[in-house]
Amino acid sequence: MSSIRRFLVVVLLATITLINFLAALHGYRTSMAKAEQLFDAQLVDISEVLAVTAGGPAVDQYLTGGMNNGSAHSIAFQVWRGGVLEASSGVAVADSPEPIAPLSEGYADVNFGSYRWRAYSHYDVADQRWLIVAQRADVRYTLADSIILESVLPIIMGLPLAGLLIWVIVGRGLAPLSNLASEMGSKRSDDMSPVSNNEPPQELAVLIESINDLLGRLEASFEREKRFAADAAHELRTPISVLKVQLHNLLRDADSDTTQLSLLQAAVERMGHSVEQVLMLYRTTPEQFAASFVQLDLAGLARQVIAELYPRLEARQQQIELLADKAPMQGDAFAIRTLLTNLIENAIKYSGAGGEIKVLVECASAGVKLTVEDSGPGIPADQYDKVFQRFYRLSSDRQGAAIPGSGIGLAIVQHVAEIHGATISLGGSGFATGLAVTVTFPNTALTKQGHTQLC
Amino acid sequence: MSILLVEDDQDLATGLLEALRKEGLAINHVATGKDALHVIAAETPDIVILDLGLPDMDGLAVLKQLRKQQSELPVLLLTARDSLGDKIAGLDSGADDYLPKPFEMAELLARLRALGRRTGTAKTNVIGIGDVSLDTASQAVLVKGELAELPRREYMLLKVLMENAGRVQTRDSLENKLYSWGEEVASNALEVHIHHLRKKLGSDFIATVRGVGYTVKAS
Repeated sequence: MSSIRRFLVVVLLATITLINFLAALHGYRTSMAKAEQLFDAQLVDISEVLAVTAGGPAVDQYLTGGMNNGSAHSIAFQVWRGGVLEASSGVAVADSPEPIAPLSEGYADVNFGSYRWRAYSHYDVADQRWLIVAQRADVRYTLADSIILESVLPIIMGLPLAGLLIWVIVGRGLAPLSNLASEMGSKRSDDMSPVSNNEPPQELAVLIESINDLLGRLEASFEREKRFAADAAHELRTPISVLKVQLHNLLRDADSDTTQLSLLQAAVERMGHSVEQVLMLYRTTPEQFAASFVQLDLAGLARQVIAELYPRLEARQQQIELLADKAPMQGDAFAIRTLLTNLIENAIKYSGAGGEIKVLVECASAGVKLTVEDSGPGIPADQYDKVFQRFYRLSSDRQGAAIPGSGIGLAIVQHVAEIHGATISLGGSGFATGLAVTVTFPNTALTKQGHTQLC
Repeated sequence: MSILLVEDDQDLATGLLEALRKEGLAINHVATGKDALHVIAAETPDIVILDLGLPDMDGLAVLKQLRKQQSELPVLLLTARDSLGDKIAGLDSGADDYLPKPFEMAELLARLRALGRRTGTAKTNVIGIGDVSLDTASQAVLVKGELAELPRREYMLLKVLMENAGRVQTRDSLENKLYSWGEEVASNALEVHIHHLRKKLGSDFIATVRGVGYTVKAS
């Protein structure tokens, strides 16, 4: 992942390095030129000394004493008079029959004795002789180089320190941003309250303002959607009631053959059920759901839900059995009832006539465990994942006849499980065939709000 | 038994009027809360069916106002709201029963019969299922035409089960109905009562739903 801090440090360091390099390059070149001038001036100095002493030990002494130590051997001089070498430095050109540089007034760069030299020739008019002073170019260069390098080196050495400082400073500068990020990160998905706005830097003020604005609009939109769900519930439930009442009236008045009316009635039932399921799916969406957790008894709720659904079990001559420990847990009563209703409705639907259903509520160490088993055809293990998708229906050829349903019951169950931090697992039932759905509500959910009563 | 239907949806009102008239009930219909309070003050019905979503005022407000004048008048709430909070609010405001939309006509009729029996305004006070008939007015129970002697709690238990025939009564709700708050209930008290009832009514009359409760099958 890219990091602004890392980017800034790298880029700033690179920029500093580049600018330092360019500055050093420029400095190097001007320093070099300056050094050249200095060295040239030195050659003139030596030449003047030479003019006075005309060679001899005084010059050598000057060369060794006055000059930087060790560089004396790099200086050479010759004194020519009328084509005869009168004197010379003892270093490199003692017995040279040739003048180092052409006998013409001024500076010259020459090759001599396998070295490159910078030479200064001067005609001493008074004594009628040529004075040539030369310095080895490579020595001049090395000297200048080391002087310059010593001034540039601290800059290079300082780069890691600069990097460290930049790292710290950039971190400081970005602190408001990372604070904002951590505040956003720790926000609950349904928390639409504005992010805190205590004197942010002006660059962030705009961002925070936009975020708060967005949160506000999001909250309003959630609110609208919630209201829509309530309105939709009302608008859909009333006409379905009308259909049911009028069908009741029609059936009452019908003479003998009520097959078509029964079909119509079944269709109305189905539509009513689908509408309820869609509303429930919508209402239990974890982002939407404002759960109010209370202490409740899962066994008691299961009893109520089974009692409510009993007429449908009775109509199919199905047997149901509830094996329940007392199961105190923290949960949202409405959501848990919805979960139970959907699981047991599914079991009723798929068990078929004369089927058997077993509902178990256990207090396990992991938490409260709810299992609903049916004696239906079950679900192949490879389809376990898919059944939680909205509107997913099993290929109903396994059931012989298509079983009506909206295919969102398990999606609702999953929503409710999510709200409670519960896990769902599917497996085979204890009957010869059939599905077992197990929902485990973790004990941690019980203690979350300070309730220590574990089952 | 006269009923006042307070419902703003004209289609639903029409259907309900027809259905209830065919049951031999005298039914009037108003569409607003104001009219409802007006009619009730002028000519008090036996039962009010009240929709919570009224155009002029909230159904619960109507109920509260109504309760100030008629504390005993049975009110059945009818509503498309279904959350537990709404239900509790409805019953707290003094409703006698609560039926969420969309409802089954049979369910509505059963609730109305129960309310009618409770207030003594029903055409008949006798619930007959199979060989057993129970008279809620005289509190007499006949089994195959012969009077069965039932102690008070057994009678109450049977009445609850027969009034709700076809539905399961959970152990919790039965215990709540039989015993008042704070009364000590032996853990098998309910089983003992059921056992006695079965001896008197025949073993099949009351069915057990294991782990859940008891039911009397509708005839």
